[in-house]
Amino acid sequence: MAKNDLQGSLDLLVLKTLSQVGSLHGYGIVLHIEKASNELLSVEEGSLYPALHRMEQSGWIKSEWGLTETGRKAKYYRLTASGRKQLEVAERSFEHLVKGIQTILRFA
Amino acid sequence: MNPMAFVSFVKRIFNLLTRVRVEREIQAEIEAHIELRVEDNIRAGMSPQEARGDARRRFGNSALIQERTFLEDSSLIFERLGSDIRYAFRQLAASPRFTMVAVASLAFGISGASTLYSVIQAVLIDPFPYRSADRIVHLHLYDQRATPRDLLLTGPQFLKFETFPDLEGAIAEDRFSEALTGEDLPEQVQVGKLSLNAFQFFGVPALIGREFGPSDSQQVAVLSYRFWKKHYQGRSQIIGSSIQLDHQDYTIIGVAPRRFTWNDQDIYIPLPYSADARRIAGVYARIGPGMTHPMMERKLQPLLDGFAQETPDNFPPKFKVHLVSLNEIAIGEFKNVLVILFIAVSALLLLACVNVAILLLARGEARQPEIAMRKALGASRLRIVGQLFAEGLALSLAGGLLGIFAAVAGIHLVSRYLPRGTFPTEAEIALNLPVLMFSAAISVLSGIGAALWPALRASRSPFRQEAGDIFRVVGQMHVRPDYMVFLAAQVAVTLVLLTASAAALRNLWQVLHADLGYDPQNLISVGLTLHDGAYPRWPDRVNYYERVRREIESQPGVVSVAIAEGPLPPVMLDSAPFSIVGEKSDSNEQVLPLGVSPQYFAAMGIRLLRGRVWSDSETVHAGHVALISEATRRRYWPHSDAIGQTFVLNHGIMTGNVWTLVAPGNAGQYQVIGVVADSPNQGLNEPVMPAVYLPYSMVAFDWFNLVIRIQADSTTLLHAIRQKVYGIDSAQAVGDATTAFDVLEEASLGRERFVAWLFTAFAFLALAFSTFGLYSILSYLVVRRKREFGVRLALGAQRRHIVRLVLSGTSLAITAGIGIGIIADFGCSFLFAQWAHGNTRDPLILSAAILLLTFISLLAAFAPARTAVSIDPIQAIRSE
Repeated sequence: MAKNDLQGSLDLLVLKTLSQVGSLHGYGIVLHIEKASNELLSVEEGSLYPALHRMEQSGWIKSEWGLTETGRKAKYYRLTASGRKQLEVAERSFEHLVKGIQTILRFA
Repeated sequence: MNPMAFVSFVKRIFNLLTRVRVEREIQAEIEAHIELRVEDNIRAGMSPQEARGDARRRFGNSALIQERTFLEDSSLIFERLGSDIRYAFRQLAASPRFTMVAVASLAFGISGASTLYSVIQAVLIDPFPYRSADRIVHLHLYDQRATPRDLLLTGPQFLKFETFPDLEGAIAEDRFSEALTGEDLPEQVQVGKLSLNAFQFFGVPALIGREFGPSDSQQVAVLSYRFWKKHYQGRSQIIGSSIQLDHQDYTIIGVAPRRFTWNDQDIYIPLPYSADARRIAGVYARIGPGMTHPMMERKLQPLLDGFAQETPDNFPPKFKVHLVSLNEIAIGEFKNVLVILFIAVSALLLLACVNVAILLLARGEARQPEIAMRKALGASRLRIVGQLFAEGLALSLAGGLLGIFAAVAGIHLVSRYLPRGTFPTEAEIALNLPVLMFSAAISVLSGIGAALWPALRASRSPFRQEAGDIFRVVGQMHVRPDYMVFLAAQVAVTLVLLTASAAALRNLWQVLHADLGYDPQNLISVGLTLHDGAYPRWPDRVNYYERVRREIESQPGVVSVAIAEGPLPPVMLDSAPFSIVGEKSDSNEQVLPLGVSPQYFAAMGIRLLRGRVWSDSETVHAGHVALISEATRRRYWPHSDAIGQTFVLNHGIMTGNVWTLVAPGNAGQYQVIGVVADSPNQGLNEPVMPAVYLPYSMVAFDWFNLVIRIQADSTTLLHAIRQKVYGIDSAQAVGDATTAFDVLEEASLGRERFVAWLFTAFAFLALAFSTFGLYSILSYLVVRRKREFGVRLALGAQRRHIVRLVLSGTSLAITAGIGIGIIADFGCSFLFAQWAHGNTRDPLILSAAILLLTFISLLAAFAPARTAVSIDPIQAIRSE
């Protein structure tokens, strides 16, 4: 995915991922987004973390330390109630945006 | 701010403080990410080195990511808060008048309340440095007389008293004026003789050296801090040197700390116990914890009754003991004044908060459309609240800071101008930090609260309703009810303070113009004290006093000299029972007796109305004659001639003691030979009590005052007087000179002036607060209704209609405020009645205050009203 992605789309992808999978660490989120998009989207791994921490400060997600299948310590994120609400808002506004862009592309 | 945002805010600040811990956690999280990728890569068949290189490449610059992540965790809110505060300061700077008034209101409120409360704390609540000072009492004995007698005990009685159960110790004390000898000329110093246990009783350690205790000899002395500074310039080498009092040597063993000023003595020496029934001393005691005064009084009464049987001369007949705490002795009626002032200043603090609330509300009101517009443009509710919060915070902090500075200045001012003699010298007036913080917190909270009020209202209400005002022609028809309440409260408090100030000023005026009955110009009084046991025979003592009087009268610069028993008027003296010979009279009749020499009336400038003054020969031969004051004549001989009548006076000291010699043949009967004019004898603005003047020789004390009328300046005179007295008898000392003006100032003038100035300052502050409150409400009202006024003017409304519209909203609030103020005034008047005769209920004062308030209100309304009528209709309609 391009560096200057459409504003907020990374947040949306993270929120959606967590809503589907439940609890996941950063690396898992990266893998899930790539897999779920059939490798169409790839997340710039580093930029995920500031986003995760910002969303946590906004109260959309919560984190706790846990163990991976291979027994490694990692920080797991999960959605909060307000994160769920935010996901709805973000989804709607994204659909709006896509619709708008599509309209322009179709009729321009 | 919603709770979540607040938690986050706190968390972010906390994160900043624990930066290392947070960074380590982020680092661990990133490392885990890379390791997971490495594991996957190895599983996919890469060599470990390859796998790590790939993982790092994919992740990017981990140090930079770590830094950015940390910033998300901490500083963002500060950036936002910072911009909010910058914005708030810009907003405040944009309306300097509003900002100045609001900040000044807060500052005055905070500083006024904390200054006065600090004074009250220092002089009323905790003035004394002594251990458990609140339980130290003095003992008064009441018989049917208005003024009580102090409990006086002999040595053996005191030893019995000291160990009485339920008392936590007691001290015996006596005060003498003694001569400081062994130096140039004898100087009169105040010597406190304290029982040896006294310093243990007080529990205040010495400043330098040590204090005396039960194991000390009698020949030691502890200096007071003031005397040490004055006489020894604060040299610490004097410890161990000797000091001579009445030709007796004492070793200086210590200096008491500055706040130890027990009864304002210069030097403290041990009080010798004596079994002599005529050598008696005053008593102070500390009652046990948990004992109330009435309980203790009941327990002590039988003990004291027993003492009275042993030494009946030292006790009044059929007395009741009454305990008086130190504070009551020290502060007396000034307490009421301070309490009233505190109530006033609390009202002022309230007023300041209300004023800030009004200002912010009016401003918030005017900003509703702006806020609604910003909200419509996408500002979140949190953002708007945050911004207004920042504004309130900036305002309150500025006010609070200024208030703290003003309080520091205020405490200096008050401690300089607080009249001496109205509070104990032990008291140390300093700013009370908790109180300062409390009033600052209240003001800041009220500021923030008032700032948030419109924010919360605006952020709740939908856009159309508020922004609609922009497009609506007719604005709100009425002032919002919360303003009305605030405005009315302001007016009410202002009215009460105005009347209080007027009453205080009138009191001051009355005191300044009181008919003194004597001439205080060029009048001084000098203390004259015999050393212990001097001139024990009555004729010798009277002759000594007469000689001193004559010698000093011959001194150039002296017009006349008199001897008097008491200090200069209007200081109160003890009264004595009075009856007329040959008439059945009520035993409760009391007059104020004063022993004087015949020159007293001329020296004081007291007019002789009838009859004659006695002669010097009548003085030295103990003539049973007296002059009565006009008040006495009016009361006892309203229709008959007083001259030639005889009255009986029961001094209660007829038997005398070591220090007091009663004239031979003095049976307490005196013949009236003249009538003189009244002069105040219970304070300047108190009614004059009947007084009688007797030859001082009838009861010759070991001390008297010389009342001296001088030609002009008295500065060099005191030394000359000391030399004269030294020439007659080198053992006797002369005290300091006090001018009649000093006495007046100390007696009540200082207090009245202080109170009057404070109240006037309060009243004007209150007036300023309400004026600005009204002005700002009306100004914003006019701004909001500009369009409406424009339309009305365009449609032909007269200017006076517009003015009426402007005033109608607030006039109800003002009227209600005045009404409430009048009621509050009646409620407060009983408080004032305790110290002032000019009460606040006086219709003249009340109507003057109402008039002033109305006038000022009209003045405040003038500018907004003028703005309203000068609106250009075309522009007003177009402008928005």
